[in-house]
Amino acid sequence: MRAAFGPRSASGPSNADPASPVFEPPAAPNAPLAEAFLAERDRLLRFLRARGAGEAAEDLLHELWLRLSGAADPEAAAGIGYMMRAADRLMIDRYRAERQSRLRDKAWADTQPGLADNIAPAPGPERAIAARQQVAAIEAALTDLGPRAAAIFRRHRVDGIAQRDIAAEFGVSLSTVESDLRRAYARILEARKAFDEV
Amino acid sequence: MTPDQTAIRDAALAWAIRTGEPDFADWDGFTDWLEADPAHADAYDAVQAALDEAAALVPEPEAEAEPAPSAANDNPGWLAGHRVWLGGAVAAVLVLATTFLLGVWPQGETLYTTAPGETRMIALDDGSTVELGGGSRLAVADARAARLEAGQALFTIRHDAADPFVLEAGGARLVDAGTVFDVRLAGEGLDVAVAEGAVIIDPEAQAVRIDAGERAVGSAGGRFNVAPVDVAAVGEWRRGRISFADASLAEIAAELSRATGIDFTSDDGATRLSGSIALESMRADPRALEPLLGVRVQPQNGGDGWVIAAR
Repeated sequence: MRAAFGPRSASGPSNADPASPVFEPPAAPNAPLAEAFLAERDRLLRFLRARGAGEAAEDLLHELWLRLSGAADPEAAAGIGYMMRAADRLMIDRYRAERQSRLRDKAWADTQPGLADNIAPAPGPERAIAARQQVAAIEAALTDLGPRAAAIFRRHRVDGIAQRDIAAEFGVSLSTVESDLRRAYARILEARKAFDEV
Repeated sequence: MTPDQTAIRDAALAWAIRTGEPDFADWDGFTDWLEADPAHADAYDAVQAALDEAAALVPEPEAEAEPAPSAANDNPGWLAGHRVWLGGAVAAVLVLATTFLLGVWPQGETLYTTAPGETRMIALDDGSTVELGGGSRLAVADARAARLEAGQALFTIRHDAADPFVLEAGGARLVDAGTVFDVRLAGEGLDVAVAEGAVIIDPEAQAVRIDAGERAVGSAGGRFNVAPVDVAAVGEWRRGRISFADASLAEIAAELSRATGIDFTSDDGATRLSGSIALESMRADPRALEPLLGVRVQPQNGGDGWVIAAR
């Protein structure tokens, strides 16, 4: 039962129920969720800190509550697995948002003469090419995997299907699914690493 | 990446696979691993971000392409998706390892030649070094005089004001003034970029001075246009990346052939592009050029080369 929080769900505070912006006075339907959340508060906080939240851990805990209280199925959201996964997702989304904003700042700096040097006379197309090249590298990595491994990657990563269910669906052994996933993940990281180091 | 970083990344990868399971339950074990080293969380975030981006690129399965259990066994047919061009990359490495050619000329000059796709480091007697790019030819008279006859080279020259290093290239004379500089011959043209010190082109005639962070493009006897260049980008071809500034498809094809050893041609001298390209993807699949430059890349009729054309 995964409703609002699939592995690729990007829901943020905007998805939260506006009637319960803080978790102290929970609305009635959320009572079991709020209870579970408060009971696991320390565990969640410890996890957020371990995930690199630092001083923002309390703020992020609040943001986590907003996400959880916006879940379509509050009963499922009250499970510790669901809450920990949502906390993990929150940190991944935060990392990606910060990374994007760094890249945007850098792109802006690159267009400003004097702030950063670039090869004259056309920094614009170069950046566009570099970005397209990164996408192409990942696409090539996925193509190289072959259709089965790429499809298995998609079922696990995008659709959030368990490995044993994927094995049944594709008619292969669990160890084949595991090895395809391992191969896919490693290949994708290699493709990115090659690009980042250039 | 250091061995430590690689180990951390591999561990982060393993955790990402485990937490990706819908019924993953070992959150406390995961927390313990994260708390062991702040670098663990960074590595895990980087892995997850990379996988998110890759997942966004996997095409939606088409309706008729729903996995058919009967066709989905471990059969070698799945390998057919692998690119035959990996063979090309292997060949390029072999070329790099075997075909360096050294000959001594009658005049006492030493001739260094590289095959396309090959690079070569040359140490001169005075401690200066030259890195010769693919498809290039350099004649060295002695430690202070050389002639670039084809292709591209990056010179790191020990400066001696009393005995300057002199390079002949494309009919011009380049004299160093304490210098790391890159020289590329492109058709009739000459492209000189300076990372450190300065270079003077034809000191007796037009005396064009190129300082660090500058690049001059022109031809001997003609005008040289001097423009700023990122010092870090000078000689970047050694790290598998090449840049073009307002180059025609024909020029780009020639440069790519020289750098990769893959035979690219183009008869389009009119379409001009600027940009920077990492060569690794090109070696794996020449068609990777298509989306990058917005061009068409097709196998040459009856050959193993590739033809680049405007779209």
